Amino acid sequence: MTLDLGIRPAAGTPAASFNEREMQICVVARMVEDAKTYWVAGGGGPMYAVLLAIRLYAPGAQYITEDGVIAPEPMLPFEPVMTMVSSRAGYRALAWGTMNTAGNHAQVGLMDYGLLNTLQVDQHGNINSTAIGAYGERSRRFGGPGGADSIAAMCWRTVLMTDQEKRKFVERVDFISSPGFLDGSEGARERAGLPPSTGPYRVVTPWAAYDYTPDRKLRLVAVSPWVTVEQVLAECEFPPVVAGTVATMEGPTEEELHILRTELDPRGQNTAERSAWIVREGDEYTRAG
Amino acid sequence: MHVLAEGHADYLKVDPDGFRAWVRDHKERALVPKVMSAHDAVARFVADGDYFVFDCNYFQRGPSTLIREVMRQGKRDLWLCGKFSYVDVGLMVGAGCVSKIDCGFFWPGAAVDVAIADGRVKVYEYSNVVMTLRLQAGAMGLPFLPVRSFGGTDGFEYSGAKLVEDPFTGQPITLVPALNPDVAIIHAQQADQYGNVRVFGTGIAHMESALASKKVIISAEEIIDTDEIRRDPGRTSIPYYAVDAVVHAPFGAWPGNCGGYYGSDTPAVIETFAAIARNAVGDYLAKYVTPFADDAEMFDKLIGAERLDKLRAAETISEGYRA
Repeated sequence: MTLDLGIRPAAGTPAASFNEREMQICVVARMVEDAKTYWVAGGGGPMYAVLLAIRLYAPGAQYITEDGVIAPEPMLPFEPVMTMVSSRAGYRALAWGTMNTAGNHAQVGLMDYGLLNTLQVDQHGNINSTAIGAYGERSRRFGGPGGADSIAAMCWRTVLMTDQEKRKFVERVDFISSPGFLDGSEGARERAGLPPSTGPYRVVTPWAAYDYTPDRKLRLVAVSPWVTVEQVLAECEFPPVVAGTVATMEGPTEEELHILRTELDPRGQNTAERSAWIVREGDEYTRAG
Repeated sequence: MHVLAEGHADYLKVDPDGFRAWVRDHKERALVPKVMSAHDAVARFVADGDYFVFDCNYFQRGPSTLIREVMRQGKRDLWLCGKFSYVDVGLMVGAGCVSKIDCGFFWPGAAVDVAIADGRVKVYEYSNVVMTLRLQAGAMGLPFLPVRSFGGTDGFEYSGAKLVEDPFTGQPITLVPALNPDVAIIHAQQADQYGNVRVFGTGIAHMESALASKKVIISAEEIIDTDEIRRDPGRTSIPYYAVDAVVHAPFGAWPGNCGGYYGSDTPAVIETFAAIARNAVGDYLAKYVTPFADDAEMFDKLIGAERLDKLRAAETISEGYRA
């Protein structure tokens, strides 16, 4: 890998088969920094990525969730949707607080990273989880920002997880639920009252990883071994900047998958969700569709 | 103070002096018993047109019994505080109880989509923390609080927030209007008869909601002796004088999980999602709410002791919940 993506080498033996959601979770897990704090969106890929990282790569990483759970050792697996304010999710935490606790801790600068899922992201890393389509007219309503607005505004760096689909990578999101670099101009976040030196850091999909250029534009830096740069770009409605060298990421390892499948999410509630299967033979990866 | 930008949505009138006067005139200072049935508490303290906050949600130590009672009594025109809300919004919208929602988050689905499209329900945009901070401002008796998020979002435009020049640093800062709801409903593990409340585990804004609201209904798994409260005052989350009614509601967070007491009822959880996704809240109410005088009857006749025992047994965690 020629670029410093902040993705550490995969630990273990390359897996023979896996699904694309698992790939995405493994890549994010390899990006988790040891001895840093993560404000993690409740449930889904972000929480499984940080849990996997703590077990395999970054044992000193800590996480909080928006209900004010601080550094738990959760009792896994979770019952369906019970990923916050549940006794299993908050098990063996170091402290229990509330949503204002989480907000305040990020606001004073204690949260190094925010880790989020999103519906749609744009060239400046703005996040939409509110509505697709013209807001208030022909839009389809989604849940709203929840805790993501605070995560994206106040953690030092924000890592996004989303699917590699045309309608999800756009020039301008249909609705800015949570802030990226806003209009992309220098100082836009600060002019909107957000703390300085914060903002979008990486975007990871099952097919690709992105960072941002110095002038705050989304940049494709790595692809999964079963897709080409062209295939990724075909799944971007608005083409991102493409790095001079685009790295090829490693697939999941048996060790990563073992933890994911047997310990973290044995029912496949999140790790098998809406995802194609990939089969590896030697260096060849085949997408089963 | 120089206003740099502001949202253009309706928001609940900010009136800290009016709230103080309400508290002076209505909050009981004496230790008086407040235990009553869910029916009586909701009939007396939830009015049509109220601004309505509930803590946590229908699945996660939320006041699910009280929410079912609100739907049973067919309350109308409520303005929901949608912070960390979930299927509760869809249920209450589907039951015809709601006209406005301040959205931090709620689970979307056909029941809500249809109501919005028909113009029966209006949504205003915030975030979860912005809503809990608005409650914090209300709980402090202040007109607003500053926050270093929310600025620059499109939600800001559809909110009551303002971006101003901070008179201390000269930097732009977002201000959000205080929220003093008409009524708060909160589910707790324990309360005494006067309304001294113990919430165990994390929460969203139970303390802020209780202090900020004109009328406060607590439901609790257990009613405990005041001597027990006095033995360990550090565990009191909400003091009695904020509270207007106490409802003894075993399994009051069902079908959700209540830390230390019972696990979630997964089939019933999934059924709730389905009711909203299919815009079939009427069928849900006809099964779980309207045939019964109260939740006790519903648990007795529909759910049954055996299933409840299993949920109780599924909660193996006691640390932090049981002394």
